[in-house]
Amino acid sequence: MTDPIRDEWYPVALVSQLGPEGRDTRLLGEPVRVAWQDGAIIVTSGGHTLPSQQRYGHVWACPGTPARPLFDIPEADQPGRRLVDVGLVRVKCSPLRAVENFLDIAHFPFVHTDILGAEPHTEVGKYDVAIREEVDEVWATKVHFYQPQAAKSAAGGITTEYMYRVPAPTVSILYKTCPPRPGEWDVITLFVQPLDEELCEVWPWMALFDDDTPMTDLIHFQQTIFLQDRSILENQLPHRLPLDPGMEIPTRADLTSIAYRRWLKRRGYTYGAQLVAA
Amino acid sequence: MPDWTPVALLRDLPPLVVMPVTVDGVDLALWRSASGRIAAWADRCPHRGMRLSHGFVRGEALSCIYHGWSYAQSGQCQRIPAHPDLEPPEAIRVPVHHATEAGGVIWVALDTVTTAPPALAGVQPLRSVTLDARFDPASAGLTESGGAWRGTLGGVAVAVLVQPLPDNRCALHVLAESKASPTDLVAASRGIETLRRQAEGVSA
Repeated sequence: MTDPIRDEWYPVALVSQLGPEGRDTRLLGEPVRVAWQDGAIIVTSGGHTLPSQQRYGHVWACPGTPARPLFDIPEADQPGRRLVDVGLVRVKCSPLRAVENFLDIAHFPFVHTDILGAEPHTEVGKYDVAIREEVDEVWATKVHFYQPQAAKSAAGGITTEYMYRVPAPTVSILYKTCPPRPGEWDVITLFVQPLDEELCEVWPWMALFDDDTPMTDLIHFQQTIFLQDRSILENQLPHRLPLDPGMEIPTRADLTSIAYRRWLKRRGYTYGAQLVAA
Repeated sequence: MPDWTPVALLRDLPPLVVMPVTVDGVDLALWRSASGRIAAWADRCPHRGMRLSHGFVRGEALSCIYHGWSYAQSGQCQRIPAHPDLEPPEAIRVPVHHATEAGGVIWVALDTVTTAPPALAGVQPLRSVTLDARFDPASAGLTESGGAWRGTLGGVAVAVLVQPLPDNRCALHVLAESKASPTDLVAASRGIETLRRQAEGVSA
């Protein structure tokens, strides 16, 4: 029998930072070990070797039987991009809350003040959201927002265009206007490792057109943003993401979040979610 | 269960400040508007569940730190910054509880109030302290009188208000006799510290 939660791919380590000692971590509440063996990386749990692969800088593992291949990010192989392993931020929140926050732009002026947003530029215009049935992914497009400093490479305020993509329940990919390379999109991802239903490790990863900014500054920029998000994520009640309407009241700006919740429910992905008490 | 629970000294909540407090196990956002009005609300924004005690006060409204949704004194949402031209639906409302000030102390009642909070005469606010332990006023030599525990700390007459907190913790809000000198207040404050250490079982 297939289990929509166990049959997903999850990030469990950064390839570039996996030392000879390996990494002991957790996935869906169970202990997992990531280790080198004869020059290869293997992932084990409870005496079993899990399906695993290396992609987008990370080691990915599946606790069950993979329901489909790991999602594709074609831009990852595009020449000229810098691939940035940001590292991890541990957040005491539901993995689904972490993804939903990543899909949200309306909080920029208040949480990422003077970086990704600033009052009085708070308005979220109309944008398009769809569950793309042919690929079974959530997409938000034509998202525009005024940003004081959209990226490390941006000088001064610009209106940034975004696209958001949710290819797996605990993964979100953001495509965003690329200041030095009009016509291309910078790619910023959020790979979330669910340790348990109310604790996760967030692995941001980027594929950018930016030849100038030192790697340290790129990493610090993203870490600043995610630490600001953490102060929100650890203080939302209930801790688990409510999938049924009633507990939280959305507005027009939340169309992506509404589609994400609906898509999770439809797929039966309830790990880290709160359903109405039976 | 008394109607009113002491939650803070008024001086610790200046205008334009919001803080978290707990009454009967319920988390609240206690805040004071620019004009000095005090309010105690459910500590949760109806939008995405963020704690309102992390928010900010502007004028007579409390705003959530997550998306800046602001709420009027009635608890009704009055502005959604993502949609400045939208009049927020009436359903977007934060549950409001009773809050008032008496004798330099802020009191909160979750439900219907049938009495006024105790009027404490002849005392001035000193300080609040949180104990990581239960507190037994009688064993500290205090006796109940007029809605407060009375006795001496550091040789100074005091009135102590006890606010029970979850996990066997509590807060004490301490007032000292009005005629106490600055030196007396320092002594009383040290007395509070000693009392806290004794209650927590920490050696002095």
